[in-house]
Amino acid sequence: MKKHNSFSIEGQKARWGWFFVAPAILFFCLFSLYPMLNALWNTFFNVKLLSLKKPEFVGLKNYAYVLSSPDFWSSVKATVIFTLSSFIPLTVFSLVFGLIITTRKKGHQLLQMLIYSPAVLSSVVAALIWLLLFDPRGIANSLVNFLMRTPGIDHKWLTEPAKLYMATAMIYFWKYIGYFTIIVATGVAKIPTSVLEAATIDGASVRQTIGRIIMPLLRPTTMMVSIVAMLNCMKSFSTQYLFTQRGAPNAPLNVLTLNIYKTAMRDRYISRACVMSFILFFFMMILTIVRMKTSESKE
Amino acid sequence: MKKAVTVFLVTLLAMTMIVAKGQQESATDLSAPVTIVVWTHDDPNRSVLEKELIAEFTKQNPNVTVDYQTYPSGKMAELLTVAFSAGEGPDVFNQSQSVIRQFVVEGQVSALDPAWLGYRSLSDITSRYIEGSLEAVSLDGDIYGMPLEYTNLCCYLNKRLFREAGLDPEKDYPKTWEEMMDISSKLVKYDGEIIVSRGFDFRYATYYLMEMLPMVEQLGGKLVSDDGKTAVIGDEAWLKFFNYMKEWGPNGRNLGGPTYVSVSKVFDLNDGQVAMSESGLYQESRMRSANPSFYESDDWMVIPYPQWKDSDLRVPCHVSCHYYMVNGNVSMAKQIWGWRLVNFMLSHSEEYLKRVNLVQPTHELFESETFKNMPYSDVFKTDLEHATLTYYSANSSAILEKMKQAVEAVMLQNQDPESVLKNFRRQVQSILDEE
Amino acid sequence: MLRDKSFSNRMSNLVINILVAIFLCVILMPILFMFTASFMKSSEIFSMPYRWIPKEFYVKNYFNAVTDYGRNLTFVRTIVNSLIVASATTVLSVIVSAFAGYGLSKFKFRGQQVVFLMIMGRMMIPFEAIMIPMYIIAVRLHLQNTYTGLVLPFVLNTFGIFQMRQYLLSFPDEVLDAGRIDGLGEFGIFSKLVFKNSTPAIATAAILCFRGQWDNLLWPLLLSQKEMMKTIPAYLVKFTEEKYADEGAMMAVAVMASIPIIILFLTLSKYFLGGSAMYSSSKE
Repeated sequence: MKKHNSFSIEGQKARWGWFFVAPAILFFCLFSLYPMLNALWNTFFNVKLLSLKKPEFVGLKNYAYVLSSPDFWSSVKATVIFTLSSFIPLTVFSLVFGLIITTRKKGHQLLQMLIYSPAVLSSVVAALIWLLLFDPRGIANSLVNFLMRTPGIDHKWLTEPAKLYMATAMIYFWKYIGYFTIIVATGVAKIPTSVLEAATIDGASVRQTIGRIIMPLLRPTTMMVSIVAMLNCMKSFSTQYLFTQRGAPNAPLNVLTLNIYKTAMRDRYISRACVMSFILFFFMMILTIVRMKTSESKE
Repeated sequence: MKKAVTVFLVTLLAMTMIVAKGQQESATDLSAPVTIVVWTHDDPNRSVLEKELIAEFTKQNPNVTVDYQTYPSGKMAELLTVAFSAGEGPDVFNQSQSVIRQFVVEGQVSALDPAWLGYRSLSDITSRYIEGSLEAVSLDGDIYGMPLEYTNLCCYLNKRLFREAGLDPEKDYPKTWEEMMDISSKLVKYDGEIIVSRGFDFRYATYYLMEMLPMVEQLGGKLVSDDGKTAVIGDEAWLKFFNYMKEWGPNGRNLGGPTYVSVSKVFDLNDGQVAMSESGLYQESRMRSANPSFYESDDWMVIPYPQWKDSDLRVPCHVSCHYYMVNGNVSMAKQIWGWRLVNFMLSHSEEYLKRVNLVQPTHELFESETFKNMPYSDVFKTDLEHATLTYYSANSSAILEKMKQAVEAVMLQNQDPESVLKNFRRQVQSILDEE
Repeated sequence: MLRDKSFSNRMSNLVINILVAIFLCVILMPILFMFTASFMKSSEIFSMPYRWIPKEFYVKNYFNAVTDYGRNLTFVRTIVNSLIVASATTVLSVIVSAFAGYGLSKFKFRGQQVVFLMIMGRMMIPFEAIMIPMYIIAVRLHLQNTYTGLVLPFVLNTFGIFQMRQYLLSFPDEVLDAGRIDGLGEFGIFSKLVFKNSTPAIATAAILCFRGQWDNLLWPLLLSQKEMMKTIPAYLVKFTEEKYADEGAMMAVAVMASIPIIILFLTLSKYFLGGSAMYSSSKE
């Protein structure tokens, strides 16, 4: 009797669960699932934009083509380098700054707002500003030459591959560091002050408090920051796009999204673009699952 | 006997086609209200003129309304591609020869029937235009577009900066690519190794096939063989070109490069940032509105596109041509009104020239006083007489991108020209093989 | 001993303050550059070294930016469009995200994990990849040149859902149970207890969504064919084209395009930052 009762409550709760999730599912099906399935379908045909010919079934040919194309692998390289060089600093520094700004008692709000401000600007605006800063006659050269006492050197921010990685990662870091810092700060603020007070009374040092109490409690936040930062980096598009528009060499900037976009829109090979999208999707999926599994097992 | 049958069959076929066409036309109600959607790239001065012309056209034909929309020119090609793929292309649009070719080849645009415009035969229309200018919109004897602008680049030169560097612009102006490099290195100014002021610099961006490929062709090299099957002909020519670009870039004599501010706009400012820049006749109207006092002064001139010292092949800068086309997937009434609108607008070629400096390749215009009275129009015309259309094919934008990457590789990434050439050939060949 | 500790505390405090100051300079420098450069002629922007104070305040950049060099006032309309689209998307997506986040965190039902993974999966698909099928759907539904068409595809804000779920996972169940005991219906519990007490997460999701829409270039460009339906990023990109190539005016447009969102950020951030403070103290 008792068992039956609890079961029906469970059932009712489940129905409410579906109710709350329903709008999201509706939008998901219409504007995500259908286009995604359509894209997946395309990978097995030779769909070319504009062509009046009926697409033919080609099996796995598109996959074979993409996987054997040097262009694709250089894009993979560009994406991996860019992702690593922007997501690692982002995660590390957002943790550091998130902890630091919560300790600032004075001007706490103002500080958060100032740090957050680049995230407010649109990415087109951000890329335009930095393109001017990285111009040979721009501030980046002047500043580095001033600090390193090397007047008149052109550091070729927009032409040398290594510098380009630095430049694009820098923009990303600049734009998103504030945002992730705020997330961490919010996470820190969620830790009950009573816990911290108890630690201080027990005589724990600052380092101990951070290492033994704050960090473990911050694990969900850290996990979220690192996943989101990584996925965002892998999807980065407009920075690289505007850089190439301004004359920077294509090879080091040709991240997967840019390659997908060009393959589809310029070369009109929809199927190949879809294959690359699915490969990108696949890797992002695996990374997310791995990240989730490792952090769950630690808890 | 066999011949007679063929002739008979062909006549029969032609007659059924004429009958079919006649039926189609009688079924088409040209007096019903119709809205023509026009997409064109953003060019503020031209859109003012075209809106006026459209107002005049709709006044004459009250059943027609026109929805005139402008787009950023850099985005236009992909927007058209996506819209057409969704079956939602505009009724009338314009693009350059490299983009429109895919629309022609894929059968997406309307073939012009001279009767729609009140002409007896197609040649009544095509004879208006100078030779070769309709090539990119021709397929199997049909015409799929009308030229809006026909542009070649010549070199604008700032005389004041020449004089300040101790050069006589009238005599010392660069005639060869070798001189171009030497004179530029006299004009360039540095702060350390950072360029503050350039002599000449290229346009880069989307100009590789138009502005740089002639350099290769002057030396006998080719992008694609005449039969369209083999890519990148003439190693010596290509290597000389790549080495020149390498010399030009930051790892050579450091005279400029694609990451510096675009020269054509900066030239008009006359503030010492650049002494020479290649541009079309349209630049004169831009200069007039951006810097009237410079335009009125005697401080600038236009010189022909340079040649290599030892080359006998006269290849001036290639021509970029923009065409207006009509969507072939819309109703017959819309196609007919679309063509009539295009024809009406473009028949005002002198207005286009006077007000926005766009040159249509018609015999009439080249002979007009308006054209002859424009400063240095003769320089442009002389080059034009030897010029051909910029390379176009259904895949030309992909090939353009590969050429851009190749030049970037030698110029900016300091790669070895020989290996760049090898890679470039492989890429272009694989694009050709796809077809 | 005690004095020692306070001294080292003060020292580390100082060091941290200096670090924070340097960090702030790096963060704010490009923004300051944008503002100052917007008052300079293009040639002055590239003078070396950069003058942080313009020689003469070249206000004409702003005139050129707003009126497209004295030709029209499309700029005003595009700003209004951007505001409408971004606000509508934000409101709808916040409601959908809060619903879904609540459903995924506080209820157990079969297929829940699948739903969650599917929605997370969407986060990993670049928009460019599904743009074309999406466009075809929009055309079939006759959504070109409509605000609806600009808004609907972005109502599903997967990151917002993820954030709401993470946030609500640590929302105390006792509060919900108390609500149930008080006889509130499930919907009442959501609107009266959950939604009202999720201000920090909702504000974050709202700001993010608004910013994303303000930033959105590709989709509006595809869908809005009419001049009057375009949004601000398209206008911005125009100034990067060769024939405009005017860095001063470009920075002026950048400033103008940023002002509405900066104002909104300043007003919303009070809820944002204040909300998080409120939440952390209420939990004691």
